[in-house]
Amino acid sequence: MGAVIPVFFPLLELLPKGSRFKKFLRPPGARSEEEFLRDCIGCGQCANVCPNKCITLYGLEGGLENLATPKINARAKGCILCMACTQVCPTRALDKLEPTPEGRQAVAMGTAFVSEDICYSFAGRTCGVCYHACPLPGKAMTLGLFEQPHVHAEHCVGCGLCEQACVHMPQAIRVVPKDNLSKTEAEKAAVS
Amino acid sequence: MKSGKTLLILSILSRFSVIGLLCALAMLTEYQNLKKAYNHPRLVELSSGRAMRVFYETADSFFSLFGDPAETARRSGGMTWSIRLMGAPFTDPVAALSVLAKSRHWELGFALGLVAPIGMALVFGRVFCSYICPASLLFFAIARLRNVLGRYLYFPDFSIPGGFAWGILFGGLVAAVWIGHGIWSLVLPYFALGQTLFQGIAFGTLSISLGSLIVFSILDLCLGRQFTCRYVCPTGRLLGFIGRRSLISIRREAPLCLASCQSCADVCPMKVNPKMDETVDCSLCGECLVICPTNCLSIGLRPKKILS
Repeated sequence: MGAVIPVFFPLLELLPKGSRFKKFLRPPGARSEEEFLRDCIGCGQCANVCPNKCITLYGLEGGLENLATPKINARAKGCILCMACTQVCPTRALDKLEPTPEGRQAVAMGTAFVSEDICYSFAGRTCGVCYHACPLPGKAMTLGLFEQPHVHAEHCVGCGLCEQACVHMPQAIRVVPKDNLSKTEAEKAAVS
Repeated sequence: MKSGKTLLILSILSRFSVIGLLCALAMLTEYQNLKKAYNHPRLVELSSGRAMRVFYETADSFFSLFGDPAETARRSGGMTWSIRLMGAPFTDPVAALSVLAKSRHWELGFALGLVAPIGMALVFGRVFCSYICPASLLFFAIARLRNVLGRYLYFPDFSIPGGFAWGILFGGLVAAVWIGHGIWSLVLPYFALGQTLFQGIAFGTLSISLGSLIVFSILDLCLGRQFTCRYVCPTGRLLGFIGRRSLISIRREAPLCLASCQSCADVCPMKVNPKMDETVDCSLCGECLVICPTNCLSIGLRPKKILS
């Protein structure tokens, strides 16, 4: 009898609704989205220990499967890669990483993409704010003429500090979450 | 003073301190942020005001007792679901079951956190419900409100089979495997309360779990005293099951007990009947000890053999 009530809520999820394109990042150390959602119990310890207060918890905006799981809104506040959250996660939904250069490089939250049509530097007005915010300068991002940012996807960890720092409104550099990247790549492969 | 009254006061105080602890743990986020960003009381005052400085200095001097304040602060955290206090982990048994159902493995620290709650259930029975559970304080207050409003209005007191909570546990596990662990914040009262406090204090946002908390309160007010604790909360049912042969339980001295008196069974919020020597689901709250006219009830080691 009582079993009906908890199962009733997921049934509500089957109702038609608008698209839910996630634009938020997961904390560092998260593996694929399925593995993360399988292990994360929503205890909030990562958000609790985050000294930058960049990790917040989902409400219902991401649907029931994301309820109470952590997210990072990079435009509001990027991750400073202190790795405190990965040390405290009780269920290893976030892999344990050390705040060393190697640990930082092992993070994969997403990849930054520059919108060259709105970026100031690409319009000839020297900016370079994103480069100065990047925690892995010279590796994840290099500068071209007029301090044009060039992101190197193989080194970019997707911390979102560049997106936070971008002075253009809307942001000319965006961090696309790893999950969305793999989805769009799969769609591209299906089309071609 | 009767021992029952002491227990009642103790249970209220301990639950208030648990709520205080949850608030303090949520405020750790703020402290860690201030520590990382400014690391100096004067700078904190300039940026966030006088009250924040007082908070920062208090927290700083407290954590300095144990060593490096930033490191020590990092060793505590979490909410009702999974908590660390000075590095010691505590895990909710329902969370552990949920993880077991969904990902089929436990981390070591996560499993060690189970020792304290299950050990407590084995020794004391369902004491979690009346000494630790922060949501039961809310329901305790609502039970008193029912008593006051009961003079003017009629409130029914329903009983449904105890299997309902097992059903919620089972259905919750199915839903957790299906859609995620977030389902528990809608059906577990203390998790809902913990999350509401955490989100409210750490981020200043209202959580959806506030809605489920309101639903539980209305259930409690309209359907029966501590209805949620008795028939909805799967953790209480699980702990009651683990502690059904608990070491310490309520005892009755049969010769002293009056044959016609039913006051203990009437007052029990868990609908346990001490008069019939029932002790399953007893949370040792002490209400029956207060009301018993002959003092025939006491709390002690479970008798070896119960005479009927």
